[in-house]
Amino acid sequence: MFTTGSKLLLGSTVAALIGTLLYGILVGGIMGTVGLVSATAALGTFAAINIFTRDANVSVDDIDAFAGAAAGAERPGSSMWPLAIGLATATITLGLVTYTAIFMLGVILLIAGTAEWMLQAWAERASSDANHNREVRGRLAYTAEMPAAAAIGLGIVIYAFSRVMLGVPSKASTIVAFSVVAAVVLAVGAFVGSNRRISAPKLTGLFAVAGVVLVSGGAVAGLNGEREIEEHHTTAYYAQEGKCGTGEISADEHASQTVAGKASQAATVVLSDSGLTYTFPGLDQVRSGSIQLPRSSAVNILFRNETNEHRRLVADMAPEVEGSPAKICSQLVEEGGVQLLTLNYPVPSFDPSVEANGGYALSVPGVDGARLEVVVP
Amino acid sequence: MAIIERPSDTVALAPSGAPAVATPDTSYGVFRRPVHTTGWKSWLFTIDHKKLGIMYGVTAMVFFIIGGVEALLIRLQLAGPNGTVLNADQYNQMFTMHATTMVFLFVMPMAAAFANYMVPLQIGARDVAFPRINAFGYWAYLFGGLLLNSSWFLGGAADGGWFMYAPNSSVVFSPTNGVDFWGLGLQITGIASLTGAINLIVTVINMRAPGMSLMKMPIFTWMVMVVQFLLLFAMPVITVALFMLMFQRSFDATFFSVEAGADPLLWQHLFWIFGHPEVYIIVLPSFGIVSEILPVFSKKPLFGYPLVVFSGAAIGLVGWGVWAHHMFASGLGPISVAVFSVATMAIAIPTGVKIVNWTLTMWGGKIAFTVPMLYAVGVIVQFTIGGLSGVTHSVAPSDTQQTDTYYIVAHFHYVIFGGAVLGLFAGLYYWWPKMFGKMLNERLGKWNFWLTIVGMNLTFGPMHVIGLQGQPRRMYVWTENRAGEGFFNIGFWNLMATIGSFVLTLGVLVFLINIYVSHRKGTEKAPLDPWDARSLEWITANPPKEHNFDRLPTVGHLDEFFHRKYEDRGEGERHDYHQVATAEEILAAEEASADKHIHLPSPSYWPILLAFSLPIMGYGVIYNLYLLAGGALLALVSMYGWGMEPHTAPSDDYDPPKGTELEVAAHG
Amino acid sequence: MSHSHEDHERTMSTDVRTTRRLSSVRSSLTTAGLAVTAMIGLSACASNAPQDTWQPAGENAQKIHDLQWPVFTVAGIVGVIVLVFIGVIVFRFRDKGQAIPEQTHGKAWLEYLFIAIPAVILAAIAIPTVGVVLALAETDDTECIINVTGQQWWWEYDYEVEPDGSICGFAPSAGEASPIITSGQVVIPAGTNVLLRGTSRDVIHSYWIPRLNGKRDMVPGRVHYLRLQSDTPGIYAGQCTEFCGLSHANMRMETVVLAPADFQRWLDNELEPYKSPAEGTLAKEGEATYITQCARCHQVNGLVDDKGTDDTSDDTVVVSYPDQFVFSGAAPNLTNLMGRNTFAGASWDLLTPECREDVWEASPEEFGEKYLAGVTEDCLNDIDLREWLRNAPAKKPMYADAELLEPTDGKTRGMPYLALSEDQIDQLIAYLLERK
Repeated sequence: MFTTGSKLLLGSTVAALIGTLLYGILVGGIMGTVGLVSATAALGTFAAINIFTRDANVSVDDIDAFAGAAAGAERPGSSMWPLAIGLATATITLGLVTYTAIFMLGVILLIAGTAEWMLQAWAERASSDANHNREVRGRLAYTAEMPAAAAIGLGIVIYAFSRVMLGVPSKASTIVAFSVVAAVVLAVGAFVGSNRRISAPKLTGLFAVAGVVLVSGGAVAGLNGEREIEEHHTTAYYAQEGKCGTGEISADEHASQTVAGKASQAATVVLSDSGLTYTFPGLDQVRSGSIQLPRSSAVNILFRNETNEHRRLVADMAPEVEGSPAKICSQLVEEGGVQLLTLNYPVPSFDPSVEANGGYALSVPGVDGARLEVVVP
Repeated sequence: MAIIERPSDTVALAPSGAPAVATPDTSYGVFRRPVHTTGWKSWLFTIDHKKLGIMYGVTAMVFFIIGGVEALLIRLQLAGPNGTVLNADQYNQMFTMHATTMVFLFVMPMAAAFANYMVPLQIGARDVAFPRINAFGYWAYLFGGLLLNSSWFLGGAADGGWFMYAPNSSVVFSPTNGVDFWGLGLQITGIASLTGAINLIVTVINMRAPGMSLMKMPIFTWMVMVVQFLLLFAMPVITVALFMLMFQRSFDATFFSVEAGADPLLWQHLFWIFGHPEVYIIVLPSFGIVSEILPVFSKKPLFGYPLVVFSGAAIGLVGWGVWAHHMFASGLGPISVAVFSVATMAIAIPTGVKIVNWTLTMWGGKIAFTVPMLYAVGVIVQFTIGGLSGVTHSVAPSDTQQTDTYYIVAHFHYVIFGGAVLGLFAGLYYWWPKMFGKMLNERLGKWNFWLTIVGMNLTFGPMHVIGLQGQPRRMYVWTENRAGEGFFNIGFWNLMATIGSFVLTLGVLVFLINIYVSHRKGTEKAPLDPWDARSLEWITANPPKEHNFDRLPTVGHLDEFFHRKYEDRGEGERHDYHQVATAEEILAAEEASADKHIHLPSPSYWPILLAFSLPIMGYGVIYNLYLLAGGALLALVSMYGWGMEPHTAPSDDYDPPKGTELEVAAHG
Repeated sequence: MSHSHEDHERTMSTDVRTTRRLSSVRSSLTTAGLAVTAMIGLSACASNAPQDTWQPAGENAQKIHDLQWPVFTVAGIVGVIVLVFIGVIVFRFRDKGQAIPEQTHGKAWLEYLFIAIPAVILAAIAIPTVGVVLALAETDDTECIINVTGQQWWWEYDYEVEPDGSICGFAPSAGEASPIITSGQVVIPAGTNVLLRGTSRDVIHSYWIPRLNGKRDMVPGRVHYLRLQSDTPGIYAGQCTEFCGLSHANMRMETVVLAPADFQRWLDNELEPYKSPAEGTLAKEGEATYITQCARCHQVNGLVDDKGTDDTSDDTVVVSYPDQFVFSGAAPNLTNLMGRNTFAGASWDLLTPECREDVWEASPEEFGEKYLAGVTEDCLNDIDLREWLRNAPAKKPMYADAELLEPTDGKTRGMPYLALSEDQIDQLIAYLLERK
């Protein structure tokens, strides 16, 4: 029968033959065709010699040895690695003319296939005890194969799924569709879980189908490209650009979902119909006009909007001071909502450069007179 | 290993009947397996729980001495006002490392030593469930401890206190590598604790001797199991916290940076969610030891055994709900403070149960005051004091006056030294003949005990006064200005505490002398059952054979050994106990019907190699990422080797000891 | 013991209310009479350690004290009972050759009883505990807000100007109120409910004046509250109690309680405009040195740099920018340095030991006068102040090593070594002596 080594050569011969035909039909050109035909012939010859010499293990004249060689003592098991290497060669060739990624994939397949082949070739001849050989192979290979296979599998699943997620539009229908998929997965999982007698092949088939669906879905979505994804700037960006106004900016999306209710803040600033007031947490007294905040210290201010309009709080940080932002603003806050601002004033408010800029203040764009002077001692 | 399972003699042949071309070679690993029964190699590659137990103990003892020296330096510095023994930086490193060493490198591993050695013996097993992981745990602990302490020579140790509050732990505030070493060292010893926990839980659940239901299990084993569950859930919390710290320091993360919107209290919560169960992790093994010793020397079973078990479990459970009592001054708000205050009071109840049950165990007994018993009674007395000062802390407003003063230092030293360390010493004296086959000298033991008790009360007692007089902890100097006058003069009591610490040191020295004296040539071998003990570990030789039991014992009672030795010949309400067998007779009977086929795991090179990769990775994180990669590679190779190694080596696959029959067989 | 009895007598003469409770502690202790309890209890009748936790001098500390002494007493009694019980067992059940006792695991009712007893005791403690926790968190009755900010290794105070223009309910006698910034010592009016709003600029610190209230951590990014109140004028000592780095031991604070009239005087003095030293004096030279050497970090309110000329057109107001030189971004305001009598995080005294004792030991009636006198030339603790100016990091460890300042881009943590000449130090001391 075919020895292990001859399988490679035969596989390569077949690959070369296919390559020749494809080249001849699709590309043409006399020189290339001649070269490929020669290669096919050479590979076929090597294959024949190899089969005859039993992978060059024995001399053909030595009949006893020929029969007793380990490679001949027991028929080697079936192997998919020659095929894999053949495939790898083809992929590499394909990759050379198309995409680098495909070339890399071919190389990886080639290395993995070769390693596995060598391992199998060694393991099948480690001893004349097939069981022992199996065990020895498992111990050596599983420690590497299992994690590698798991990583590759997971990688494929994650990548495919992420392509799908990036491809589909972010609409309610998608959410429904995914809910249905999730429900189906759950139902199948529940069925399999409760049905203990389900056979292994069936289960394998199920997973295979799921895998194929996912991977093909990922491939389709990946080729389709990502949907248009909006770019979101932070409030800091808009503050720098001077765009913290009454209107909605993209940083304001999902403002109501921001975690803002931080404990032990320095003050709660409230916008109501009577203007901007503040309280110190725990103290009932409502104050207005000016607020005293420590210098060079990160303080958290909670802004609460009690008007009917959507409003934001802007902290004027006096632009002339080096190293500190000119303005800091909160997201737009709906009625009853709260937002947190973290402020740090490195320079006191009596500094001439600060005074020249009108001093520090907290204000609400669009509301006249909603202003708190910030005193930094 | 001397006794191993032998593989079948016949070599498999090729099915075709052709002669075997290659003989099966079952050595899949890189190395042939080690099998040294003597010499240093027998310790380095051992997976025997008893050897590992001893190694844990010895290492812990070394760290105890290191931590003790640190404590002495602290006390010397504080003996008088404006001390000059240490400077501020050295002092801060000293108290950080003293606490870290004592908690993570002494008390926990010492408890692990007893757990490793005694649990398999107490439940009638031949080893723990995962012997190689057990070995790995020890080496991880040792290497972690060495990594931690190597910081002394590499620019200075950690200086943020053992609680390492953020943001004082960040690079800006602690610019040396000390905190990095601290975090990584603890991470590595944490791996040891975690693997140990899983190992012992599986061992106790699966490997008990026939007949030993959970409620017939020795109380020490029970407490160890509770502790392992605590570890199992507590270690991941500190692991997460330490990872955050590592990323904060080494990779510019902002978990604790206020400017980036973080809240430094996050660290405190994480630390104390680990840190409070840690208190019980420290003290419960000792409670188990005391609960073993009191019945033996009172000749009575443990009073309310089920209640002691359940209160131990209850402490373990409620211990998760009181962490914020370390944070009463942190500004949590009144509601949280009130809730945690009440929860803390609740935990005093199961703790009280233990004290009551111990005293009632002695009540009506026939008490022999040997050294282990003295230590056990010492635990009750000292721990009661520590527990009661703990109750005063549970009153949150009062705690805001006492926390971070010497009063709390006094409190937890009464709990940890008085509760845990004295208990561990009790265990050392009690189990010494079992572990080493020699009795520790009783006369020196009594010196040891009384010096320790006087020393500890003289050291930590005055701290109550100093603390209530308002001296905060962690101050490298104190001044006359704030010392006061008269009876409560802080200076006087500081001096007393320093003197006390030297008395205490003397006590520990006597212990070391005792070891030497007891092991001099010519000292008698210990009797088989020196204490008239009650549990399974005493149905073995002193020290136990490698395979522990010739025959796995069958258990009918709690205190099985006692019931094999004594018979109640009384009628009805009258009891009349008579000795029916001696320990020697019982052991002889066991040996006579030894199991024919004893399966023991074989030693291995891989655990120590894998453990060794951990500190390499640690240094890598601090100094050089290539070193990290190198360490990771070693870890990978070690795991690979470990994975390929069969659980048990066949008889011809190891390096047999020189000049033995085995060697002849292997090479002949 | 006789010594402590004397202490009893003395305490009674000063604070009858406290002593009444103390003697009840004592009577229960005499019956108990065991070492540990005695030690804890005895510290109640302590002499004068300034941070004694058992000598409340204000409403809040008193609430804590009223809660803690019964708890300590109960704990002491329980302890004594347990220890006596163990003692009895030890003597009664020693092995005297008696028979092996019954192998019993105990009696259920006894066990339940011993669960019930501590449960009842603890419940009895829990109820008032919760009450006091809530009472100490009250803020409704606040009459005065002072902001306190901790940093390595000193405390800064700024007084909130109330919407009505007053500070702590006191309107300035002349002119308008502006925020007052001090450090080291906080001055509060007697009989007023003060609320400290505290935070931190770097690491966590803890504010603790034992005789006025329990401690409270001051955490960066958070504002925490602490109530202070006292009816008795005097100085109350405290110490940072959350480990805060190298010089944690040198981070102290003092709360000064002044009678209302004295507080008004103190306030007016703080708000007085800056007075430049007279021309030609050593102090005037000191002003120039101050501007070149100190003013980049230490603010003196109203200080004007006249560039050494009589021409006023080029005068500039001197504003310090500690945020560019110090990591925490703050340095003590020295406007009225000599009005307080400590420096460097309240670690050293500006007063000589005799003068210090005179102020600290003053009776509540005389205290205000003595404190407001500030630091005079005769009373100045020249030695420590000079040492400090010569080389601050040598006196108070402050990460002076340049290598360790790398993570802060060279910003110091605390006062650096300034290489001042002895002449400059003389000038500066002359200048600073006028800052009150």
